[in-house]
Amino acid sequence: MTPEPEPELREALLAAVPSLRAFAISLSGQVDRADDLVQDTLLRALANLHRFEPGTNLNAWLFTILRNLFHSEYRKRRREVEDPDGSYAGRLKVQPEQSSHLDFEDFRSALAKLPADQREALLLVGASGFSYEEAAHICGCAVGTIKSRVNRARFRLASLLNVEDIDDLGPDSMTRAALQG
Amino acid sequence: MTVDKGNKLARVVLENSRGSTPATDPKLDTGSQKRIGDQLRAMYDELMQQPVPDRFRDLLDQLDKKNGAKEGSQ
Repeated sequence: MTPEPEPELREALLAAVPSLRAFAISLSGQVDRADDLVQDTLLRALANLHRFEPGTNLNAWLFTILRNLFHSEYRKRRREVEDPDGSYAGRLKVQPEQSSHLDFEDFRSALAKLPADQREALLLVGASGFSYEEAAHICGCAVGTIKSRVNRARFRLASLLNVEDIDDLGPDSMTRAALQG
Repeated sequence: MTVDKGNKLARVVLENSRGSTPATDPKLDTGSQKRIGDQLRAMYDELMQQPVPDRFRDLLDQLDKKNGAKEGSQ
């Protein structure tokens, strides 16, 4: 059965493109590759529209598709490329035209140093606006796993960017934060 | 150097808290969390502001036409 070509759906897909791109660029560190990922995501979504449950979160569904495409491609590339994280960082550096604001340069390279699962969790929850539950659904893991990954991602970023004041790093503030959280 | 000092301290805290509470990950203080969050969103917003490449608009337009033609022929 061919799904109805609803104009609202076209608009909804188009509206999702900026956030899909932002996620894909931040995830892969490569604009060209990110755009290919987004295109593949849209094509796959359109081919599988019958699987989408109306009334559920279209964006979450699209992000799930994109994420799965990214990881299957990543696994493929991993066989070819040693040290994928290093190559990610390298690619970020050779794209000055993509990062127009130098302010974000440090942040991007710190983000690139995170393990992929932590980067992904942080991007979904901290930037794309998904709840922990939605992010867990997108990544196919437990909510606690997402929370832990986001937590570790933030901690590592703070350490890489030296965000904390030295005083904040004392065991007392850590204990307080742990008690609060 | 300040940077090295900060990182070293962070690692020490990380290991300490792991030792005492193995089930819990270390947490950042709220101020640092906010600063990280703000930078992340600022970077992300910049990406979100980029214009949608024509290829996506074209792709969806083509599919619309295809579907439209299919409907007409039915």
